[in-house]
Amino acid sequence: MSEKIYAWLLRLYPSRFREAHGEDALQLFRDRARAEEGFLLRLRLWFDLLSDLTLSVPREYFHVQPQLASLSAHLRPDGVPSFCVLANESLGPGALLFGGVLSFAALVTFSVLLNHGVRHVPLNALIRPTQRSAGARSSPFDSSAPPTANNTGQETIGSKPPEQPEIAATSSRPNHGAAPKPRVNAKLDATERRRVIDGAAAILEKDYFDRDNAKKMAAALRAHEKNGDDHAVTDGPAFAALLTQQMREVSPDRHLTLAYSEAPLAQHPIAPTPEDLAGYRKAMKNQHCTFEEVAILPHNIGYLKLNSFPDVSLCRATAAAAMDSLNHTEAVIFDLRDNRGGEPAMVSFLAAYLFDHPEYLYNPRENTTEESWTHSPVPGNKLADKPAYVLTSSRTLSGAEQFCYDLKMLKRATLVGETTGGGAHAGVWHRIDDHFGIGIPETKAINPYSKTDWAEIGVEPDVQVQAAYALGTAKELALAQLRKK
Amino acid sequence: MPKQKLNPLPSAAFQILLALAGEDLHGYGIMRQVAEQTGGRMRLGPGTLYSSIQTLLEAKLIEETDAREDAKLGNERRRYYRLTSAGRKLARSEAERFACLLRVARSKKILRGEYV
Repeated sequence: MSEKIYAWLLRLYPSRFREAHGEDALQLFRDRARAEEGFLLRLRLWFDLLSDLTLSVPREYFHVQPQLASLSAHLRPDGVPSFCVLANESLGPGALLFGGVLSFAALVTFSVLLNHGVRHVPLNALIRPTQRSAGARSSPFDSSAPPTANNTGQETIGSKPPEQPEIAATSSRPNHGAAPKPRVNAKLDATERRRVIDGAAAILEKDYFDRDNAKKMAAALRAHEKNGDDHAVTDGPAFAALLTQQMREVSPDRHLTLAYSEAPLAQHPIAPTPEDLAGYRKAMKNQHCTFEEVAILPHNIGYLKLNSFPDVSLCRATAAAAMDSLNHTEAVIFDLRDNRGGEPAMVSFLAAYLFDHPEYLYNPRENTTEESWTHSPVPGNKLADKPAYVLTSSRTLSGAEQFCYDLKMLKRATLVGETTGGGAHAGVWHRIDDHFGIGIPETKAINPYSKTDWAEIGVEPDVQVQAAYALGTAKELALAQLRKK
Repeated sequence: MPKQKLNPLPSAAFQILLALAGEDLHGYGIMRQVAEQTGGRMRLGPGTLYSSIQTLLEAKLIEETDAREDAKLGNERRRYYRLTSAGRKLARSEAERFACLLRVARSKKILRGEYV
């Protein structure tokens, strides 16, 4: 046993030592073990061996055989790089210290350069997606949506600046005009501040739906600038937030947002190409129109997990089939916890199943038209009077929030989960310059339920629980409701 | 390298040279002889022993003789080592250096005469 332990310890030595003397060392151990029996002698033996090991193992690793130097010259074939032993010496402590300090300095230098010297470009800015997630094609309710073809010159914006895929876009499409470079920690000067204020004021006066307030807001922006209230702000995002605040002081409109984008804003919005549309169609087909799960749970409770509100023209059949399969359930749960939005038309299409008469659905970015009413009743549908539950999370966004908001306001569904993300995307986006833009409502949709909607604040659920527990809670609520009957 | 590693001569290497001055010995024999000549103060472990042996071999201060059995320790064949003339010369000069030091020490009354 002891010999096995020592044989194992011998592996700590470099292989050349083991090859030359490993057997001898083991033999010496055996000789000593035979001669030194008894507890104390054995203890002394192991003490000797371990101290010897501690001292000699490091020394062996520093020791370089002299023949290596000459061998390296002989073994090197022509043109093949190889390492040569230049000095026939082990490294002195001074050299090791110097090497260590130098390595540390290099490491620190590279870290500093990587963090400060080179601008970080997000990976997703370099990759042009070939397949977009559902709702990302021309969805007026999705924050990542590119501008639509029928919305030329403008694009929608919510409470946050739109993601601009210019870096990727320039690789596949001609950019309009000179490509501005991303701004790196640039400070705003008075000229740029004035340009942004003048641009914002002009757009407000031209396009904001409430002309009187538009004039007041434009005047307020100019007055603040004249008074020097903006002079201390040299940071882009802070300046955008300040101007937004100044406008909202005049008119508390959460759909009105001035935003800053570090990445340059496109001169003209980029319309989706036929490839984009084909990719979207393919993605919808592959993802079953983002209807992730349709199931009938115990106690005949219907469950529908939907991760976007896809284009009705592509997904009508899938949506209708999903709702038909739940037609005979006693209650229905819509799981929108991973739903990032999509088409208002699909919101209306699905909501229609919950009513036996046309119902008005408020949509903050569209004027009230015939399309604002659901096409209820749906022929053959039996869900119009069944209890409905909607599961929400902080990821629930945009079009999904419209579904939540309207059903909550109509007291047609019980919302279970977390407060939603708060993306109404109700404004129309106008570019001011390379880095600033303003989203303003150009229409006034009638909100019959409340003065506010979900923009920035989200939709508060009726039953507040963590998203992870929302399904369990909703099932309990549904069951309790069914037992009452 | 061996020259540098042996200048100054490490005490383990000097003890090995001294151990081999009397007769050819295998590794365990050297270890015992060193322990004996140092009054048990130096018990060379296998790592130190064979590392020193390797250095002395490379410096041609000792050499390997034909492997053979040691009747007292069983029938395993062992490598024996012998002092070369260069090794003997180095051991002598090292001993003289110590003798010189001892004389100085004795003259300074650090050591008493009976030790030498």
